[in-house]
Amino acid sequence: MIPHEKAHLNEEDLILAYYNEPGAEPARAHIAKCPECRAAAESLTRTLNMCDELPVPERSADFGRDVWNELVPQLSNYPQTKSGWHGFRVWAAAAACAMVLIAVFLAGRYSRPTATPSLMAGLSDQARERILKTAVADHLDRVQILLTEISNTSGSPEMLAADRARAQDLVQEGRLMRQSLAAQGETPTTSFLDETERFLMEAAHTPDAASAEEVAALRDRIESGSLLFKVRIVESNLRNEEQKL
Amino acid sequence: MTYGDDGALEKARGGDSDAFRLLVERHATAVFRLAYRMTGNETDAEDMVQETFLRAWREIRRFDGRASFGTWIHRICANRTVDFLRAKNRWQPAAAGGGPEEDHDPFRALASEEPSPERAARSAEASATLAPALASLSEIERTAFVLRHYEGLPIDEIAGVLGVQPGAARHSIFRAVKKLRRALECHA
Repeated sequence: MIPHEKAHLNEEDLILAYYNEPGAEPARAHIAKCPECRAAAESLTRTLNMCDELPVPERSADFGRDVWNELVPQLSNYPQTKSGWHGFRVWAAAAACAMVLIAVFLAGRYSRPTATPSLMAGLSDQARERILKTAVADHLDRVQILLTEISNTSGSPEMLAADRARAQDLVQEGRLMRQSLAAQGETPTTSFLDETERFLMEAAHTPDAASAEEVAALRDRIESGSLLFKVRIVESNLRNEEQKL
Repeated sequence: MTYGDDGALEKARGGDSDAFRLLVERHATAVFRLAYRMTGNETDAEDMVQETFLRAWREIRRFDGRASFGTWIHRICANRTVDFLRAKNRWQPAAAGGGPEEDHDPFRALASEEPSPERAARSAEASATLAPALASLSEIERTAFVLRHYEGLPIDEIAGVLGVQPGAARHSIFRAVKKLRRALECHA
C-alpha cells in the first residue's frame, strides 16, 4: 500500500519493504525520509537479522556422496517418467494397471464363493483394501503431475493436447476409483475424487486452440480451490493408511 | 569428465545416473539446509533430502529448464516437506508439552540441542530464543517464513508451494514475522 503523505507505515508495509517486495518502493522511500518509520524499520531489521543466527547442523564434505549411496539402491524402484509419446504410453500403462487393480478389488468384493477359484481367492479384506488405497494414491499422483504441469505450462498447443488426453484418461480412471470407494463407503475421499473429476473434465474439454486466457483460467481453478495442495494431502494420507494396513 | 549443472542435467534426463550423482552431490547440503529449517529435525531433514532426490530422478524429464536445477530441486524439497509436516501433524498430534512426546515439535527440541563448541558463543542465545519462537508458528506460517526469509522465494512461488492464493501466503508471512517480533523483541 502506498502510504499517505502524512501517515506512517504499518507493520505490514515495513515487512514488505524489508523483503523489498514488488510495490514496496514508496514505502522504502518513506522510510528514508521519516525518522519514526526509519526507527520502526530498524527495529524490524534487528529482529529479522536475529533469525539469520538460527543454527543449522553442519554436514560433512561427504554428505552428498552419502546421500547418493543411499539413493542408488532405490533408483530402480523409481523409473524416470518419460515425456512425449513414450511418456503417454507409460501413462496409459499406469492407468491400465490401476484399472486392473480396481477390477481385482471389485471382483473380490462382490464375488460369491463359487466352484471356480477367483482372482481374489487368496486375498483378505485387508489386502484388498490396501490394493484400493494404493490404486487411488497412484491415481492422485498422476493427477498431481498433471496439475503441476498445467500450473507451469507456457500454453504450447502440443503440451495442451497431451494434457487433454491425459485428463480424459484420468476422468475415466477416477470414476472407477470413485465407484470402488463408494462401494466401501469412504465418503471424504469419494467426494474429493468428485471434485477432482470436475476439474479434469474441464481440462479434458479445453479447446484445441486454447487461448492464454483459457489456460490462465485453468491455472486459476487449480489455485483458487487449493486443488494441488489438497491432492497432495489426500495422496499422502492414503499412503500413510496403506502402510498401516 | 566434469559437467556444469546444465550438462549434468541433460545427461541425467537421458537416464545417466552418474550425471544425476553429480547433481545430488552438489545440491544435497543446500537441500538439507532448507529441509532442516522447515522441520527443525536432522533425521526428518535427511529423509526429506532422500525423498526430494528420488522425486527429482523420477520427474527429471518433465523439468523444462526454465528455472535452474537448484531452484527446481528446492521447490520439490519444499513441496515434499510441506506434505510431510501436514501428515505428521495429522497422524502424530503434538503433545500439550512437557511429556515424552514433546519432541514432536522439532523447533522446541532444537532449543535444547547443544551447539558445537566453536559455534556456541554466537548461536547459544539465538537458538535459545529463536527456536521456541519458530516453534510457536503454525507449519504454514513457518514454511512461508522459511521460504521467504532464508530461501528468498517470491510470494507467488511460495503460494504455489503451499497451494494457496498469493494473498494468503503474504498474510502467513505477516503473521509469522509479527509472532517472531513479539517473541524476540526483548533480545533484538
